[in-house]
Amino acid sequence: MNIASARQSATGASIRISRLEKRFGAVSAVDGVDIDIAAGEFVALLGPSGSGKTTILMSVAGFEFPTSGTIHVDSEDLTYVPSNRRNLGMVFQNYTLFPHLSILDNVAFPLKMRGLRTAERHARAEAALATVRLAGYGHRRPNELSGGQQQRVALARAIVYQPRVLLMDEPLSALDKNLREDMQLEIKRLHAELGITVIFVTHDQSEALTMADRIAVLRDGKIQQIGPARQLYERPTNLFTAGFIGEMNFVDVAVQSVGDDISVALPWGETWRLPATAAVERLAAGEAAVLAVRPERLQLGAGSPGQVVTVTLSDIVYAGSALLLIGRLPDGTEMRARIPGASQLSSLAPGDVASFTIPTEAMLLYRGKR
Amino acid sequence: MMEAGRSHFWHSDGRQLSGLSTLLLLLPFFAIIAFVFVYPILQLLVISVLEPHPTLDNYARVVENPVHMRVLMRTLWTATLVTALSVVLGFPVAYYMSRAKGTVAALVAVCVILPLWSSVLVRTAAWSFLFQRNGLINSALMALGLTSEPFKLLYTQSAVVIAMAHVLLPFMILPIYGALRSIPNDYGRAAAVLGATRLRTFLEVILPLSLPGVVSGSLLVFLTALGFFITPALLGSPQEMMISTLVSKQIREVLDWPFAAALVGVLTVFVTLLAIVFSKTLRFDRLMGNAS
Repeated sequence: MNIASARQSATGASIRISRLEKRFGAVSAVDGVDIDIAAGEFVALLGPSGSGKTTILMSVAGFEFPTSGTIHVDSEDLTYVPSNRRNLGMVFQNYTLFPHLSILDNVAFPLKMRGLRTAERHARAEAALATVRLAGYGHRRPNELSGGQQQRVALARAIVYQPRVLLMDEPLSALDKNLREDMQLEIKRLHAELGITVIFVTHDQSEALTMADRIAVLRDGKIQQIGPARQLYERPTNLFTAGFIGEMNFVDVAVQSVGDDISVALPWGETWRLPATAAVERLAAGEAAVLAVRPERLQLGAGSPGQVVTVTLSDIVYAGSALLLIGRLPDGTEMRARIPGASQLSSLAPGDVASFTIPTEAMLLYRGKR
Repeated sequence: MMEAGRSHFWHSDGRQLSGLSTLLLLLPFFAIIAFVFVYPILQLLVISVLEPHPTLDNYARVVENPVHMRVLMRTLWTATLVTALSVVLGFPVAYYMSRAKGTVAALVAVCVILPLWSSVLVRTAAWSFLFQRNGLINSALMALGLTSEPFKLLYTQSAVVIAMAHVLLPFMILPIYGALRSIPNDYGRAAAVLGATRLRTFLEVILPLSLPGVVSGSLLVFLTALGFFITPALLGSPQEMMISTLVSKQIREVLDWPFAAALVGVLTVFVTLLAIVFSKTLRFDRLMGNAS
């Protein structure tokens, strides 16, 4: 068997998770989750710890059986099938290479379980090691490899039997930053080469944003939003996602009227008229709302059409590619701005009052209070 | 597993203790070991070759007399059986302990450790009570109609093996438990998702990784069993003596100290050889890899 034919035959499967629920006693770890994943798609499950992302993955892997709901892979119901008969690939956070086996035997392990003869499984394991660029490491022991190399071996072991789905449980969180970025590219490359469907659990949002086709943001066992990175970042559908993904400024406002445009009262007495498209959620006059703006969308001074705010600066932080300005609005609400091209701003000092323009299209309105 | 390399003591604030303080802290222990263990053993070995005059006759008597060799072989065989029985009985308990949680785990641990707090004599006496001609075991067998005549249980080799295995079981269970506990749960999960059935996960992953525990438990049990005295003396047949009984007889009844010393010498050589063979053939560090 050569690698080329392995690549051709290994294409991803579609996954359908419906009404998935998992309760531990009174606690709902997963609370009615629906996800449809297309064949070959790369989906990240992103959320704080306790959000249920790992429980969902464990249910797909078969380590946990859900309280209710179903998991289908290519229309085959796997909900209650034992792990060893699901034929899924999985990479764990802590590599989980078997320390008593050589690298080659580790990678050949799933083939041994499938009854392949020694010569063939060693040839295929060697080929899989080559795809993660570790050819020739087969005779070593796991503890003779670095963390990054061990995780690549784990990756080789997870794909050597050509599963149609690859599950990854925070596979990069044990690695240091540079290695993590290398591995992100390595996994992306493998995903493109193999066409395998990937479910990737992480609590690192930049990892999710750079790697995944779509990201499911989870909180308290429920999906808050699922969509491509750009959508999640540019127009989060609720206040939680808005605060969870990236940096965001929030200002409490009161809705005065809703029509062709929306007028809102700012806490320091001004009234702004915003286009109706600013409202992400349906708003009604008299309700409390939250105005959300990304720090990098603020512009120093007057410029493009938008609203001007005055900010009393308290901290000026040099952050390499940009200058981070932290200050307070007239009512005391904190406001952050990231201004690129830091060198021209060296005249600013804490205590200065600066005016910023918030471009109209950068403003989003949500129901509720911050 | 212990980190190999230089070992030091530390102050509670993290500063390293000076060499002298370290020495002073360790001295009492090693002084006692030297005084109550190393010195008497050496003294015995000296007696075995110097008395009644410088000679190896005492050793010749051990090796040449088939009765004595039979006692030695029986001792080794008994210790082997005890070890085997302890592994068979102990492994499942250790495995269960390593997987149990909460109250159940505590209960099992107490059941394993509690016998260690009662004396060997008490536990052996309990067995002699059970093994009697009209004891609980024979009564039960007859009540069930499995036998019409009571079996001879007491004063047999089987009684000795069973009782010794019971007494030594904690020393088998605890090291295996330790080895099993150090295997991360994810290994079993990884094996399963890679296609291994439960049986194969156990045979290919869990068992090999627990071997260091099995080996150290077996060494502990085997070496302790070699020198066991009370249990064979109370439950065993006088015609099927073990070496400790023979040594005791030579010292207390025959008053032949040099010969008893030679018996101890032969046993010591056996034990040392075994320990060396075990540590050379089984490379624990390599076997365990980075399992921790």
